[in-house]
Amino acid sequence: MPYLPRGVAQPTELIKHLNALAPFPQGVVNLRYTVDNDWSGDPAIFFWITLSDEAAHPTILPQTTRRITNFITNKLDPAGKWDLIPYFNFRSQSEQAKLKDEVFG
Amino acid sequence: MAYHDDLIEHAIFLSQLNLPGDPKQVDLRRAVSAAYYALFHLLTTEAAQNWKHQTQRNRFARMFDHGRMKTCSSKVSSRPLPADPAEALIATDLKLVADSFVTLQQARHTADYDNSKVWSRTQVYETTAQAQDAMTAWMAIREKELAQDYLFDLMGTRQ
Repeated sequence: MPYLPRGVAQPTELIKHLNALAPFPQGVVNLRYTVDNDWSGDPAIFFWITLSDEAAHPTILPQTTRRITNFITNKLDPAGKWDLIPYFNFRSQSEQAKLKDEVFG
Repeated sequence: MAYHDDLIEHAIFLSQLNLPGDPKQVDLRRAVSAAYYALFHLLTTEAAQNWKHQTQRNRFARMFDHGRMKTCSSKVSSRPLPADPAEALIATDLKLVADSFVTLQQARHTADYDNSKVWSRTQVYETTAQAQDAMTAWMAIREKELAQDYLFDLMGTRQ
């Protein structure tokens, strides 16, 4: 019998936990996610996170992204509890205003 | 300068091209790819250093497979930290390396093959910073047994 990751088998439960993540850490303007396979076919959750321009400034970007990544990893534990490899994607609010990328919302 | 250091410098250089104007997608994509390969070559070169015959080390480094390295790194990422505080510090650095390897590999795959994906400079800054952090963390633990076990397991050997 093929193995079904919990995050795929119980999508409603996953959404409930994702919704419970809010309020997000400072600097997060918008957070979206998609559940999909990664390049090698492993089940994954992709986070598409828009940051305020201040939080995305290159001098503090690593601290900002670490704080947000840790927040989501600790609260949701995508790999441990949902069998989904987490991938985080960040961009600034002004970049998103220009690029209007649907996945970032 | 070592090849992996050249690669990360190249990634940073590409990510900053055309400032303050809009970046070109080709520069951002190549930067992401270079950032991944900086970490990839650091790890495979380190593993090859353990091979006794110097003349065979480049061939040895070519034996590594991206998919197997990802599988091994994912296992390290999901492993709980050891209770011993000294071991936990090493394991935390190793987890950073392994997490980064998995993330950077996915980013590199998207950058190299998915032309529908549009990159922003912030995404690429984040990617290069992650590669740099992982390389720094590796240098701090490279002689530790846990790190050496990881190098060995990256080959995809039976555990």
